[in-house]
Parts: sequence; structure tokens; C-alpha cells
Amino acid sequence: MSAPTPAAALTAPHITAPAAAPAAGPAVNAFRAERIKLTTLRSLWITPLIALVLTAGVTTAVGAALGGKEDNLVDDPGVGIFYGLNFGQAALICFGILLVGQEFNTRMIDVSLTAVPRRGRLYGAKLALGALVGLAVAVLATLGAFAGYAATVPGAWDGPALLRSAVAGVLYQTLLVVFCLGTTAVLGNLTAAMGLLTPSLFLLSPLLSGVPGARRVVQFLPDRAGQYALRYADDPQIAYGHWTGLLIMALWTALAAYGGLRALRRAK
Amino acid sequence: MIEIQGLTKEYDGRRVVDDLTFEVRPGVVTGFLGPNGAGKSTTMRLVLGLDRPTAGHALVTGRPYVELPAPLRTVGALLDAQSMHGGRTAHGHLRWLAASNGLPARRVDEVLGQVGLADAAGRRIRGFSLGMRQRLGVAAALLGDPPVLLLDEPVNGLDPEGIRWIRTLLRDLAAEGRAVLVSSHLMTEMALTADHLVVIGRGRLLADAATSDFIDRHGRTRIRVRAVDPTKLAALLRDPVHGLGATEVGGGAWEVSGAEPERIAALAAAHGVVLYEITVQQDSLEEAFMRMTADSVEYRAEAAA
Repeated sequence: MSAPTPAAALTAPHITAPAAAPAAGPAVNAFRAERIKLTTLRSLWITPLIALVLTAGVTTAVGAALGGKEDNLVDDPGVGIFYGLNFGQAALICFGILLVGQEFNTRMIDVSLTAVPRRGRLYGAKLALGALVGLAVAVLATLGAFAGYAATVPGAWDGPALLRSAVAGVLYQTLLVVFCLGTTAVLGNLTAAMGLLTPSLFLLSPLLSGVPGARRVVQFLPDRAGQYALRYADDPQIAYGHWTGLLIMALWTALAAYGGLRALRRAK
Repeated sequence: MIEIQGLTKEYDGRRVVDDLTFEVRPGVVTGFLGPNGAGKSTTMRLVLGLDRPTAGHALVTGRPYVELPAPLRTVGALLDAQSMHGGRTAHGHLRWLAASNGLPARRVDEVLGQVGLADAAGRRIRGFSLGMRQRLGVAAALLGDPPVLLLDEPVNGLDPEGIRWIRTLLRDLAAEGRAVLVSSHLMTEMALTADHLVVIGRGRLLADAATSDFIDRHGRTRIRVRAVDPTKLAALLRDPVHGLGATEVGGGAWEVSGAEPERIAALAAAHGVVLYEITVQQDSLEEAFMRMTADSVEYRAEAAA
């Protein structure tokens, strides 16, 4: 992308000067409402910040502690760079769950639906906000993780897979938020979402992938597939390529997002 | 204006709302009465599009609620005052609501002042009493300055001062030409607040009348009489010639229905019965309401023997 020209800087204020913009469409209003819901509730805005700090911070800290040594932390730089993501994604998962789940939990969903009675519009606003915040955190966390790793583990981060791993890192985190948001909407319950997603993504999926028999199936779970795209090296035991892994995760996410819409539309 | 036409809702084959038809007109407070479990809240949820009716429909200003482009500008609703996130401040809760319908942010401070929560605007809802939550719920309902208001049990949790406040507020809102539907299970409270009453039991419409008509029709009068000689009084009242419906209520006192006090006094005088008490007793509205809904109460304690 080109840097903003002086002309653009001059005209920009004229285009974006809607101090009083009352005539926004209902979809924009619904999105604004979701944005204010986020900024007015600490548990909502603090989780993406925690994710950012953990993903970039843990990678940097571990790199600083072990990076200079002869035997590096891991063989694959992709795994090293996103070491912090193992911790940061816990907060991302919570964020995706909370974005929808806290409304079910407090029954505030009734108030939200009287304000925005179109289920699709309300859900779309939530999805858009989740994806945008997820994307923003993902970009910053990925940049931070790469910078931290590059600074602490000299030379190891460079390679032909660098760009792919970085793009995958951004998409993985964004998709993860949307996946958790959609799944929570499907379940219609905060506690159930926490109870299903947290152990599946943190225990079941990583542990089972170590079991030879289960591995053939488990590799198609969203987090396994998405995380494979972060790695630099190929793994002969994985049945698909790096980009295909990301695509598999995207399909899971699309399924969860659509299922959430269906669940919300199905009135009691 | 709310039009409810043949509204029916079934949950698992059980009819919670059964073929309801009534109107909520502008300029008056319509009291929506029924015992707990009668279907009041469900009816309100159906009007607001939160549940889908099995049959029939509810229209607000001529349209289904879900088709209103900025619903908060048309309908203000207070449902369960617990349906808020305790972690937000009162101001924060109203701010997202205002934004969702493109309402100016200044409305938030206006309605907070209107319900007397201006000083608590920056406090988290978690620390609010039930009465404060009710006030915040009312503030949310008023946010869009709507012509139609729909309040489910708004006096719940309010202290006497708060109850008087909401009574005045509802009457003022109706006087401004708004249509106000307010549900309650307290008959006497509604008799004071509402101009019109809609009574339901087991989801069915039991009465739809002006409050004054309702009181005339259902507030039964009885005459309580006592005489110096109870035996003579009993003989007189029981005599089928006079056609009086009389029951002994203990202590030598009788209650007579279907007769004017003048007639009873005249009869007693003609038969040489000396009365020392003759009082007109009006059934309380609460009793009328309980009688009317007696068959439709879902859960009831066994009458003590």
C-alpha cells in the first residue's frame, strides 16, 4: 500500500467529518451498539488485550531465555514464533465466547433483540465486531511475536515460509474468535460453550494428536488444521498442505458462524 | 397502539396464550392483569417479537414489531429488570441501546434524570437495588421517546415512593397521548393506575373493560345485619317469601345479597325485628379479581381445613 499523499491528508477531514451523523443505516447502528457493548464492559475489552500481550510476550520471553543457546527451543521456527499463541489463544477463545455468551448468561439477549429485532442484523454486527477485533489483535500479536522472536533468536525466523506463516498466524487468530463466537451462538449458553470449547481446544485436540490412531482424524479439527499452517516445515504425517489446513479451519468457522445464525433465528 | 388478534402460543402442546384479542389504545393506561402464570409475560414477548406465535398476530402501530426500522422510537419495553449485565454502568447500558437505534447520546442523560438515576449514572448495575434496576429499565423504555410503552410488572421491587412515582409517570405518559400497557398481578394497584383493564387467566381473555365498568360489575355489595333477637332475624331472612339471599356469618350476624339496605330496614320494622347493625359492604376488587380468576390459577395452596 502506498503512503498517504499530502492531498489525501487534506481531503480526508472533509470526507470523514460526520460529527452529527444521524442518518446511519440500521446495520451501522447495530454495529455501533456492539462496539459500545465491548468498550463498556471490562471483561470484553480486556481479553483481546491479554491475548495480544501473551502471544507476543511469551514468545519473546521464552526466546530471550532459551534463544541464544545451542539447542533452540524448537526445530521449526513457526512453532517457536507462535509459542506464545498457545497462551494467547486462551484469551482469544474466551473473547469469542464472551462476545455472545454473556448476553445469554444475563438474558440481556432479550433487550438486544428488542433493540435490534432482526436476528441476522444483530448476529452480523456481533460477527463483524468479533472478526475486526480478532483481526486487529492478530496483526499486532503476529508482528509482536515475529519481532520478539527475531530479536531473541537471531537468524532462525527467516525462511521461505516466513510470509505464509505470518499470514496464517493472522488468519488463525481471527478465525478462532469467529469460530468460538459461532459455536457459542449454536449452544446458546455461556457455560456450555466454555465447557465444550476450552477442553476440546486445549486438551483433547493437542493430546489426541499425539496418539497415532486418533491422529488421522484429529488433524482435521479446526485448531490442528489451522496451526499446521503456522509451521515452516512440512509434516509427512499430515494429510494436507499448509494452506489447505487454513482452508479446513475456515470451513469449520463458516459452519459455526452459519450454525449460530440458524440457532438465533429459531425462535423458542 | 397495539392490536392483538387471535394470539396463541403453545409450548410443547401446552397453551400458554389462548386466542387473545384486544387493543391497547393511545391516551389511556391499560392494565394487563392476571395471576402469575396466566400468560402476561408471554403475551408481551410475543408483541415484541421475542417469541413467535403459534397462531394469530400482534401489531404495533400497524406493523409486526420485527418490521419496525428503529423499534425503540416506536415502542419502549420493560421486561425483566434483571436482564442487564451487572458489569456495565447505567450510562453504558443506555449508551449502547441509544446507538442501536441511532438515538442521540444526550437522550441517555435525559432519561437518567427523568427516572432519578442521574447520580448513579456512572455506577455499575451490579450494585443496584431491584428498585434502581426497575428505574433503569424504565429509563431504557423511555430512551426513544416512543408513542407506545409496554411494561411488565414495573412496580416489582419498588418502595412505596417508587410505586407512587411509577403510577404518576404512567398516567402522565398516557396523558401525553401514548398507548401504555402495564402488566400486574395486583388488582388494587391497577384499579388506581389503569383506565382500562384487560384480565386474563390461563392464557384466555376474561375481561376487557373500562376500570369503572369493571368495578361496577364485579364489586359485589352485601348488607351485613345484626338484630337484638337473632332468632327472629333468622326467621325473617330465611322466609322464602322475601326472596333474600342470606348467609349467617357468625356472632348472630347475617350477610344479605340482592337487596337494598332500605328494603331490609323496612322489612325488619314491619316484622318487629329490632336491628342494631346494618352496613353496606363492598367486595374489594382484589376479591372480585380472585373470584374471576379462581378457575384459572395454576398453582394454589390447599385451602386450610
